[in-house]
Amino acid sequence: MNAPDELKKAIEGDLKSIEQICIATWEPLYRFIYFKVQNREEAEDITQETYVKTLAYLQKHKMPWDNLPGFMKTVALNVLRDRWRQRKRRGIPVNFEEINPEETAGMDHQKAVSQRLQIENALAKLSEDQRIVLDLRINKGYSVAESAKLAGKTEAAVRTAQYRALQALAQILDDSD
Amino acid sequence: MDNPENKLSDYIDALNAEKEPEKHQGTAGTPELEKLLATVRLVRTLKEPAMPSPGYPQRLAAALADKIQKNNTTGFRQPVEPNPKPGNRIYETAAGRSRRKRILPAVAALVAGLLLFAVLTSWTGLFNPDVVYAMEKAVAQLSNYHGVLEMRSKNAAGEEWMIRRVELWSDGDKYALRQNDGTMTVNNGEKKWQLRPQKKEVALLPLLPDPARNGFDLRDEAKRAKQYPHKVVGSEMIAGRQATKIEISPPGGLAYYLWIDAETNLPVQLQTAMQNALQTTLTFISFEPNTGINPKIFAYQPPEGFKVVEKDPGQLVATVEEAAAISRLTPLLPKEAPARILAFKDRIVLDYGDTTIVESAAGGAFQPAPNSALGTAAGGPLEVWQERLRWRQDGIEIQAEGTRRVELARQIAGDLTLPDTGKNMVNKARVEVPVDMEITKADQQQVDRGSSPWQLDPLQVSLTFVNLMVSPEGITGEPEIPAASFKLMTNNGAQAVVEVAAGPVKQVYLKRLVRQDETGIWSVVGYDPR
Repeated sequence: MNAPDELKKAIEGDLKSIEQICIATWEPLYRFIYFKVQNREEAEDITQETYVKTLAYLQKHKMPWDNLPGFMKTVALNVLRDRWRQRKRRGIPVNFEEINPEETAGMDHQKAVSQRLQIENALAKLSEDQRIVLDLRINKGYSVAESAKLAGKTEAAVRTAQYRALQALAQILDDSD
Repeated sequence: MDNPENKLSDYIDALNAEKEPEKHQGTAGTPELEKLLATVRLVRTLKEPAMPSPGYPQRLAAALADKIQKNNTTGFRQPVEPNPKPGNRIYETAAGRSRRKRILPAVAALVAGLLLFAVLTSWTGLFNPDVVYAMEKAVAQLSNYHGVLEMRSKNAAGEEWMIRRVELWSDGDKYALRQNDGTMTVNNGEKKWQLRPQKKEVALLPLLPDPARNGFDLRDEAKRAKQYPHKVVGSEMIAGRQATKIEISPPGGLAYYLWIDAETNLPVQLQTAMQNALQTTLTFISFEPNTGINPKIFAYQPPEGFKVVEKDPGQLVATVEEAAAISRLTPLLPKEAPARILAFKDRIVLDYGDTTIVESAAGGAFQPAPNSALGTAAGGPLEVWQERLRWRQDGIEIQAEGTRRVELARQIAGDLTLPDTGKNMVNKARVEVPVDMEITKADQQQVDRGSSPWQLDPLQVSLTFVNLMVSPEGITGEPEIPAASFKLMTNNGAQAVVEVAAGPVKQVYLKRLVRQDETGIWSVVGYDPR
């Protein structure tokens, strides 16, 4: 099937058609990006940039409508990789393994579940204190001050505990790979 | 700030505030710290994503249209900035004026206080973050189960009785259920039949579509619990198992309860709200997840002496041509080939596993369900109702149901458009009708209890509204402006416009004020006088 009229109109800049495409496609793409960057601000930015790049590409090339969601995920991965490279130039090491496009593009629900299990298994190997601090800070999203109050620690102790807990967790995850 | 512990902590704070950490906190600095930041992100994947504020796709579309227009006027340039500047981001208002909400310190303190209160009152074990996520995961991993489900009812006087008890076997796509009277229904993925011992007969049933397999679908419950606000309210023993009790509150509806087995994380009991002085409880009085199920349960072997009753159960065919010959239809096919094709005398069913497409000959006028939203497909109306799409194309009525319905339907009708939920259609009303939200909420609960279902139909609500204008003393007998004068012009699921051919009102504007899904009632919010 050729690209439908909607897509053609969108490429020409028809707001209604662009809206239809955005409404139908934004959520899986946003979730995919959020999964990688873990914050709304960046996920919104990259989602927008992905749409801009996709439409720019489609102004010059033809693309079957059915391939659009997969194509957009690949574009999103390229945007993510660009950002990582940019940071590398600023002095941040790039973990290219983490943005392996084949692996990430093929990351279906089942893989997400198995990754989740792996993290949970690793968390279960931490000490109770370490689990508590990660639960409060990352899972429940409390500030250092709130977490300190809840866990009966000083703020400095919470910062140290979360650092050590994440060190231990990274080690467990490395060992399990 | 240079201290790695502080840097890590600031990074976590930025993510918790849903902000891009590098933009606000700077860079990681060392490979070791980078690894820890990546670990933070990994742990965070256990949480549900923070979604953008409502209307995001519309704002996204506006930003894109703007960008395309600029490109079209200045000649196209490939965007080169990997990190768009804040000015390029989508903000909640147009015209480039940033109105990203800032929480005032006092409000922030209040929110923090409330959060603290919530955690202290619902502390049910550390790093048992959300029992509903654990349930979702357990349900996703469930390969098979065998259990006995009991349904009991209780009236307002506290009297309780058992309605029925069914034994269930479920293994992937296959399932079998035996009722109290021995009737056994089996679907083994290739055939569906019902064994009726009292009548000594086996009835062959259509394999697809197969709606709700039983009244307590584990996947559906996990999905609903996640979608609606919920909280842990206690821990109880249910059928000899320790279970966490959660209260689920559908917006504008009455709360109901779900109990989740503390060991398996699977739902074990569901209790509806007391409605019309009646409350129903569904309990798995026995439940064995991921167990060995005797394959004979799913084998089609009619017992000796049983009569086989067949009422067009359909047949699996290998090709579309075969299906066309049996059904005398020329089906419209998505580009993607179905996993299975079933042919009936009057219809063809294309099975994609998670999605089913049914095609039959179109007869009479197309009547969308009154509480459905309307889009367009093949130049005509598209009915959008729960997880179903229905439209007509080339003399065939097509119905797509399941998770990939939009994707597959678009492969048949390339012009398919979904209802535009972001569009404000009712602000054009010349006369505004004030709405008392207290009364509307009470009406919604009344409809939830099964009374006055007409409030789910925008045409019926308009008919009542207009006729009460004409006859303020009440409608007796046939309404003065008959139902035939009312025509649904648009309905995006949240707002609707109804045109009236006669009487003092030309157009009625309606909104679903309490809940914007198929269970939400419509209220008149404005009208245009004739």
